[in-house]
Amino acid sequence: MKGKYHIIVQNARVKFEFDIKRNITIIRGDSATGKTTLMNLVETHERLGDESGITISCDKKCKTLNNSNWESVIEQSNECIIFIDEETRAIKTVEFAEKIRESNNYYVIITRESLPNLPYSVEEVYGIHTAGKYADVRQTYNSFYRLYTMDNKVTEAAEVIIVEDSNSGFEFFNAVKGEDIQCISAGGKTRIRSIVNNYNGQKVLIIADGAAFGSEMSELYLYMMSNPKISLYLPESFEWIILASGLIDGKRIAGIIERPEDHM
Amino acid sequence: MLKIVFGDVDNSIYHPPTYFDNVYLDEWITDPFSVKAIKDIDKSDVIGPRAIDSPFLGSISTKELSGGVKTLILMRFDESGKIFNASACGDNCAKWIVEISKKKDLTINLHHIMDFSACETFEAYIINTDKTVHSYQEYLDEAMKIEER
Repeated sequence: MKGKYHIIVQNARVKFEFDIKRNITIIRGDSATGKTTLMNLVETHERLGDESGITISCDKKCKTLNNSNWESVIEQSNECIIFIDEETRAIKTVEFAEKIRESNNYYVIITRESLPNLPYSVEEVYGIHTAGKYADVRQTYNSFYRLYTMDNKVTEAAEVIIVEDSNSGFEFFNAVKGEDIQCISAGGKTRIRSIVNNYNGQKVLIIADGAAFGSEMSELYLYMMSNPKISLYLPESFEWIILASGLIDGKRIAGIIERPEDHM
Repeated sequence: MLKIVFGDVDNSIYHPPTYFDNVYLDEWITDPFSVKAIKDIDKSDVIGPRAIDSPFLGSISTKELSGGVKTLILMRFDESGKIFNASACGDNCAKWIVEISKKKDLTINLHHIMDFSACETFEAYIINTDKTVHSYQEYLDEAMKIEER
């Protein structure tokens, strides 16, 4: 399953409208923003269909799963969008990660936990924003907003570069860094958190694959808010940097760089 | 005093909202603490122990309160000795957790680093590392070192 899907879930009181672009989307944020309401609407519509009074507009079937049926739901689903509430403890397990890797569905997961077993993009972590009444004055309109937006440019040189990768990515950045800059490999995304703590007060640049760095983002983002000398560079992947460099010619390259989700 | 334990722990309730639905008492809902928390977090008014007026959902039952508010009410009133998973609470519940801990010893379970930066003062005992932190920054530095989630 590839590409972007537009979803509208609504009843007389609330309307949720959003796009799902990759196989894993995470929803978190403040309490009382409508996460469980969205989940309940999808679950009720799955049981009763349009007779529930809920309408879902989407090109793919929207389903839910829970602690007791998650394996069978995943096994029996193909090209579905599956919503998972935070009570589903199975999402933390290696078994769950393996199961969804083998499947051909998209997953919308409500959780504040990091879930390092799941490779999700920093760009696919959302909160729910209530924009107010829409169309019918009795209906509240809710949309997703990206939690982590990083458009600021770093203007000062780093003293330390921490590269997630230990292979080609690390070798590349270690080769091109300035002489006075220390470049170290974290040896994996989950180790960055503890390593960055060792460089308190120094100008640190963390380089990691944005396509799979979602699990680390929440805690690093909090840490960065209190430690402004830390910066992040999160390209889609090291391969993405190579494709975007212009070294490789070809008409398809521009499309891949612009919409990686259509090619994974 | 607020005590925090990161990661899985015995005697904890992983999904407090479900536990709340099955144990809450009517008088918890009409207590001034709950009325204020429900107004602040859910923007809703308590009409009675079994009826809430929500600006988004209309007239709702107590069981339709947000997971965050349900968890706060459990932390405040439940006397079972259970440890509640505060990762069911958004960061907008953080100041309420600190507020509760000023009135009683409160142990919470976290599976992520909660943002307490909006709290004017912050002090907590981190069970995983046997260390007391006296500020949000100290808490953050300590939490970043802990493997358990």
